[in-house]
Amino acid sequence: MDWGNCKDILVFLEQKEGKVVNVSLEALTPARTLAGLTGGKVLALAVGTDNAAAAEKAAPLCDGVLSVEGAAFSDGCSDAMVCALEAMVNKYAPAAVLAGNTPLGRELTARLDARKGLGSVQDATALKIDNGTPVWTVPLYGGTVLNDVVVDTLPVVATVRSGAFSKPEAGEAAPVTAEAVEVPADAIKTKVVEAVKEISESVNLEEAKVIVTGGRGMGSQENFALVEELAQLLGGVVGATRPAIEEGWVSRAHQVGQSGKIVSPALYIACGVSGATQHVSGMTGSGYVVAINKDEDAPIFDVADVGIVGDVMKVLPAMIEEIRKRKAE
Amino acid sequence: MEILVCLKQVPDDSVEIHLKPGTEEVNLDGVTPVVNAFDTYALEMATRLKEAVGGSITAITVGPEKARDAVKTCLAVGANQGYVISDPTFEDADTLGRSKILAAAIRKLEADAGKPFDLIFCGREATDRASGQLGPQLAEALGTGVIVDLVDIEQTDAGICAKQETEEGYRKVESALPCVVTVNKPAYDPRYPTIKSKMAARKMAIPVLSAADLDSVEPGKPTAHVVKVFEPAKRQAGVKINEETAAESAIKAVDMMAAAKLL
Amino acid sequence: MSYLISEAAQDLLGDVKDFCENEVKEPCKEFDRSGEWPKEIYDQAIEMQLQTLEVPEEYGGPGLSRVDVAALFEEMAKADAGFATTISASGLGMKPVLIAGNEAQKKHACQLIMDGGFGAFCLTEPGAGSDASAGKTTAVKDGDSYILNGRKCFITNGGVASFYCVTAMTDKSAGVKGMSMFFIEAGTPGLSTGHEEDKMGIRTSNTCDVVLDDCRIPASDLLGAEGQGFTIAMKTLDQARAWMGCIATGIAQRAMEEAIAYGKERVQFGKPILKNQALQFKVADMAIKIETARQMVAHTLTLMDQGLPCSKESAIAKCYASDIAMEVASEAIQMFGGYGYSREYPVEKLLRDAKIFQIFEGTNEVQRIVVANNTIGKF
Repeated sequence: MDWGNCKDILVFLEQKEGKVVNVSLEALTPARTLAGLTGGKVLALAVGTDNAAAAEKAAPLCDGVLSVEGAAFSDGCSDAMVCALEAMVNKYAPAAVLAGNTPLGRELTARLDARKGLGSVQDATALKIDNGTPVWTVPLYGGTVLNDVVVDTLPVVATVRSGAFSKPEAGEAAPVTAEAVEVPADAIKTKVVEAVKEISESVNLEEAKVIVTGGRGMGSQENFALVEELAQLLGGVVGATRPAIEEGWVSRAHQVGQSGKIVSPALYIACGVSGATQHVSGMTGSGYVVAINKDEDAPIFDVADVGIVGDVMKVLPAMIEEIRKRKAE
Repeated sequence: MEILVCLKQVPDDSVEIHLKPGTEEVNLDGVTPVVNAFDTYALEMATRLKEAVGGSITAITVGPEKARDAVKTCLAVGANQGYVISDPTFEDADTLGRSKILAAAIRKLEADAGKPFDLIFCGREATDRASGQLGPQLAEALGTGVIVDLVDIEQTDAGICAKQETEEGYRKVESALPCVVTVNKPAYDPRYPTIKSKMAARKMAIPVLSAADLDSVEPGKPTAHVVKVFEPAKRQAGVKINEETAAESAIKAVDMMAAAKLL
Repeated sequence: MSYLISEAAQDLLGDVKDFCENEVKEPCKEFDRSGEWPKEIYDQAIEMQLQTLEVPEEYGGPGLSRVDVAALFEEMAKADAGFATTISASGLGMKPVLIAGNEAQKKHACQLIMDGGFGAFCLTEPGAGSDASAGKTTAVKDGDSYILNGRKCFITNGGVASFYCVTAMTDKSAGVKGMSMFFIEAGTPGLSTGHEEDKMGIRTSNTCDVVLDDCRIPASDLLGAEGQGFTIAMKTLDQARAWMGCIATGIAQRAMEEAIAYGKERVQFGKPILKNQALQFKVADMAIKIETARQMVAHTLTLMDQGLPCSKESAIAKCYASDIAMEVASEAIQMFGGYGYSREYPVEKLLRDAKIFQIFEGTNEVQRIVVANNTIGKF
């Protein structure tokens, strides 16, 4: 691939209340691969009202942090953020622009593409270099089919799936450069008037080593408590399928699957989960899968290392008791 | 309120799609084309808004002529009229190209009707590619604002107020009109067509607009290309435990987890 | 194979299938257990206007052929036979009006259906089942009114209908020639519902007594003329029977589909049980019976559409379809083995649902009388 004069790789650091989101940091890893190809730097772009925390987090993981600060760049103000992103792309002429495949990451890259006539890939799960050309793997049809795609325009634009890349090792803190971007008044077309936090718990499914997930088969909120008990016992995080969330047994912060989180813990225990594609596509990266279901033919058993055929309400308490006993020993 | 809903016909997403064995060809044999689920949510939200504030809904799609079925489906559940934008030169268009085609079609429909669309609805993504690009790119092509991932919407004096889902809760976002919005799964389900609305929709004409009907639309060359189509490596199914009692099964499973050094 | 239907009906079939799969099939399992009438499901069905399928086009209906409608009913029956029975019994309740009513009466009854109401047909009485002429309900003319007294039983939709078509004796001395047919709207003073049946099957349909206690209705609500009641009732049943055959066929189709799916999955002796020709033949016999029943229903409905006589065909369709529904459901249970007998699996319900189709709207013995009479003739 002919990179022309484009060398640097720009990674958009998405923030929530001043905290950088994980997938943005993970995106620094494929960025490093690309920089190796172009001979450029990995530049992390923070756009917000106060970038101090995000810059500090990203600096040891990249070659330079660009910090665009201003009152206009508050959470949810995508109109202003896309201006900042566009301005930095114009100024640094990067070879690639990466972001996490979050609603904001997708929106900003889509709008950048439209403004500059660029191609892009979304939700990339892997990056290979083939003869000097970056090849991205993206899922189709909910993940049952994969495409390897080459972006033909420069800069190459991509959003990456959460959990698909691991964060780079920390090195020395790179310098932080303040950049000023003026946002023209007519560029702001939408306005956030209220932000409501309904879910206060912080659920870190992406980084969990153990996840215990409950599905529709748990039957009730009271029964679902067993899932929580096992998760706690194993020092893990509670996951849930969409039906369990729609029943109101847990908040949607716990959702594993296509419309929730893509996870890859060392141990994944699925309780009363049938194994619909939408769910399975979010957990096939797990190291070791244990499934409990009374239906012998449940598709979840096709991806389980250990499948227990039985009533989850009988198996789970027995399992909790057994593990507790061994821990005590 | 003049409302436009953009939709895409996709393979039925309740069916697991795979490749034809030994090929790079996606096997869509026997898979019914349906309206993209998120587009049906968008139409339902649009229809509820129309029922609340009055107005009219136009449904359009860019695709082959047989995408008419998708439009017809929409005419039975809220859309008042529908169009298919179809042209051999549009076949290769990627999302960016389709956003330009849609923008040209919108300008054409607005000119014909002598009034602009106030609000343009899209699904947050299509279930086949899930790129989520079309809505924002269409807004850029039209020069309007965009709000993504709505779960609810209401009319205000100044335009609209949208409820946007976030990981921790939601935001209320306001915009003047015209505006593009993309819709996530709201708290309600799309309605079923009634016998009457379905029969009426069957009788409605769905005009096809070609490139010649639009004003100088240049979808541009595709901006990316696929080099390989394949299926993810399958996880191997392991052992199944089905002992006499639940307790015995549980102990056996715990043994295995312990042996794998996971406890 | 299935019914040969119009493009419009194919379109509707997709919607009805979606609706039944998503909203009827699974929830009705639970309602089958509880015996509760699933009002929410029926509200949704009414919103979709499923109860209007049989309303003639001139009164606001969709203008489908009867075979078109049969394909839709079969889809409902596959999801839940009780659900399909409720919807089709509404058509049954409307039939006496369409057969004998005047223009105003037809318009009125159809409008009640179009507005989301169900109909109910009230012929059977505790002492008058197969022998409908033994009915004791009376209607006495009083000026511009009739006053009705009596008790009807086993009335499908009895507790949920918007209107009732009721037979009553206007002249007890004249036997069946003294029977008349009346249209009574729900809410008329003197009409009430009594004992609700706790049924073996089709538990998602409502079946109860309808009690008439000095129920006064305008004389203009007489359908046809005095003394025509029995004829109207028999014509009604002639038409309605084919629909019961249609629903019974749907039960059988579901049973076969469940049996095939299970037979492909269930492994015994190292292979799916359906690899055994003995079971393949069972399935073949199911298919032969189902297809024969379905085409008999279709033929009868086509005759009806063309206004041709179809008493015999209708009786054959109902009798045959319900007999084979029992057979197919029973064989499906057999293929499931022990699981087939378990309430956790879907097939035992089908047997319970199928049984009533050999009994109501004329027992299969009565159907055989009809067939015999129409075949042998008077001698």
